Amino acid sequence: MKIKETDQIKNIKNFAFQVRKNILEMAVSAGSSSAHFGGALSITEIVSTLFGCQMKIDKKNPQWEDRDRFILSKGHACLAYYAALCEVGYISKEELKTFEKNDTNLLGHPVINRNLGIDFSNGSLGMGLSLGIGVAISSKKKKKKFKVYVIIGDGECNEGSIWEAAMAAPNFKLNNLYVIIDKNNFQQTGSNKEIMNVENLKDKWSSFGWHTTELDGHNIQDLQKFFKESKNIDKPKAIIANTVKGKGFSFSENNNDWHHSILSKSFHEKAINELKKNNFK
Amino acid sequence: MSSKKKYRDIFIQSLSIDEKKFNEKIKYNEIPEWDSIGHMTLMSSLEEKFSISMDTDDIVDFSSFEKGIKILEKYGVKF
Amino acid sequence: MNINERNIKIWSTIGARATLGIAALELAKEIDNLMVLTCDVSTSAGLDRFRKTYPEKYLDLGIAEQNMIGVAAGLASENFNVITTTFAPFQTMRCCEQIKVNLGYMEQKICMVGIASGLALGTLGYTHCCIEDVGVLRSIPGITIISPADSLETVKALEAAVKSETPSYLRLTGSSNNPIIYNKNYEFKIGKSITLREGKDITIFCAGAMVHKSLEVAKILESKNISSKVVNMHTIKPIDKMAIEEACNSKLIVSVEEHNIIGGLGSAIAEYKSSLTKSPKQLFLGIKDTYSKGGNYKFLQEKHRLTSNKIVEDILNSY
Repeated sequence: MKIKETDQIKNIKNFAFQVRKNILEMAVSAGSSSAHFGGALSITEIVSTLFGCQMKIDKKNPQWEDRDRFILSKGHACLAYYAALCEVGYISKEELKTFEKNDTNLLGHPVINRNLGIDFSNGSLGMGLSLGIGVAISSKKKKKKFKVYVIIGDGECNEGSIWEAAMAAPNFKLNNLYVIIDKNNFQQTGSNKEIMNVENLKDKWSSFGWHTTELDGHNIQDLQKFFKESKNIDKPKAIIANTVKGKGFSFSENNNDWHHSILSKSFHEKAINELKKNNFK
Repeated sequence: MSSKKKYRDIFIQSLSIDEKKFNEKIKYNEIPEWDSIGHMTLMSSLEEKFSISMDTDDIVDFSSFEKGIKILEKYGVKF
Repeated sequence: MNINERNIKIWSTIGARATLGIAALELAKEIDNLMVLTCDVSTSAGLDRFRKTYPEKYLDLGIAEQNMIGVAAGLASENFNVITTTFAPFQTMRCCEQIKVNLGYMEQKICMVGIASGLALGTLGYTHCCIEDVGVLRSIPGITIISPADSLETVKALEAAVKSETPSYLRLTGSSNNPIIYNKNYEFKIGKSITLREGKDITIFCAGAMVHKSLEVAKILESKNISSKVVNMHTIKPIDKMAIEEACNSKLIVSVEEHNIIGGLGSAIAEYKSSLTKSPKQLFLGIKDTYSKGGNYKFLQEKHRLTSNKIVEDILNSY
């Protein structure tokens, strides 16, 4: 049993390594168009755990009716999303190179394209959790077993529409709905504390009726443990994931300059070297 | 046909109530058929069949079969 | 739906809102995957009976319109046939961006119904009136906009919209005792205007509660030897271009709407008309870009010159 778990963790770590590699490739090819680097890196372990293990998906069929659904409400973190979809096999490495190019399928915010595994257009913050509720309700009405995973940002919690959704989900007893709050403590122009503080997220979500936990969003074991232990809890689940914006590279960690910026060739080189050295394996 | 019977028939027909279930003690919102939609349908039928046009206040006050009799009498219906 | 004289009369008495509830009940019988979503307005939209009869097809999202649209889109993405409804200003503007992203950008097929649009709730003030909805939604690509003229047209428009493939917005105007325009069943096609009265001097384009007024206006103008064509332009988007081309045979085109003259039916007509090489002048009748003081429906129609007498006056001044 212990060996199996370690293997599983190993696989997810590998997945995350590939995701970071893909993120770097897309960011450097975006060139002067810039990329939302920091917020994609903070969710890399989360996305890898979901697509690499937790979610029930069909690698050959992105539109499999019974797949678990994923919604990247903080759509600007799409580098991690596209990277993960590439690792799964829905998006080719060639297509990744078209990121933010003219006429591309892969813009700076996800655009719905179910052939590529992109289920919704996101990017205007505050809307994804409502979509998740609609999809989770559908699952129950169709008597299906698929689950819905929504990633939102901590800055995104400024939006009133998030709290409308937060209020609604427990009312509809959506025990098949998971929200993961990427608490990297920053939003676009500064820290949450500087711009619009979102204290006590755990208390807030818990008081709205969610089964809530707070954990290290880069610790794959902790993520796995929560998913396992909360499986049979009869409430929607909220994970306050403490993360580091720009996680994975010395120059970007907790540096909000990397919210949306150009990855020059030199930084790209630096990053590749660090990846190889700090190989998470 | 007596006004009373006509009145009863209008209730049964416009509210689509089962004749066996109908009784003269029924009140607005106490049976599922006499909800807000049922009420407007009933008022419309009464106005048409008795050739009257009721004031809004009377439509609002029309809260039971029995009360309705008093209201219709105001408009010249003889029971 | 049982479209007969008796029902038409009842629907007219109860008004378009309550008729919505009845129509939804009938549609639920034939459309298995129908879902109706509201924001704490079941009784205001005649949906109380629907809620009790089909609880599994009904969702109340509480006073949270932005969430309602997102939830609707989530359901639509999973092949449910969704109707959303609340008061027109909240249905269209509170959640406008959600409409843009979900219905426009993602093309999720949802039928939104804005109740009590126009000036009907004037005693509650302009927060509860809606003179902007058409203007706001017209600029979101891909959303069909329909303004039914009477309660029967409300039924037909709802059925057509629910059965169509594209997202739509139905704008319900008028109050109870909604005048009857159609006293028997007729063919309703989204995008195809209906000429209710032929005439050679003037063409009056109207929609919603202004259709009845426009027919009255045409009668009055006739007594003054002016022959007016009255066209029910129930579908404001996509607009019936052919009807506008035909109207260019008139000496004057008049648009009448219970909406700001900026952005609504009149603007939609003018946009197309201005691309034609030869067309007559257009008189825009509607609310002249202002929020007045409140008052009841009749009072506000007077104030905004949307009564048949005032409309006649304005037409005579322009003719």
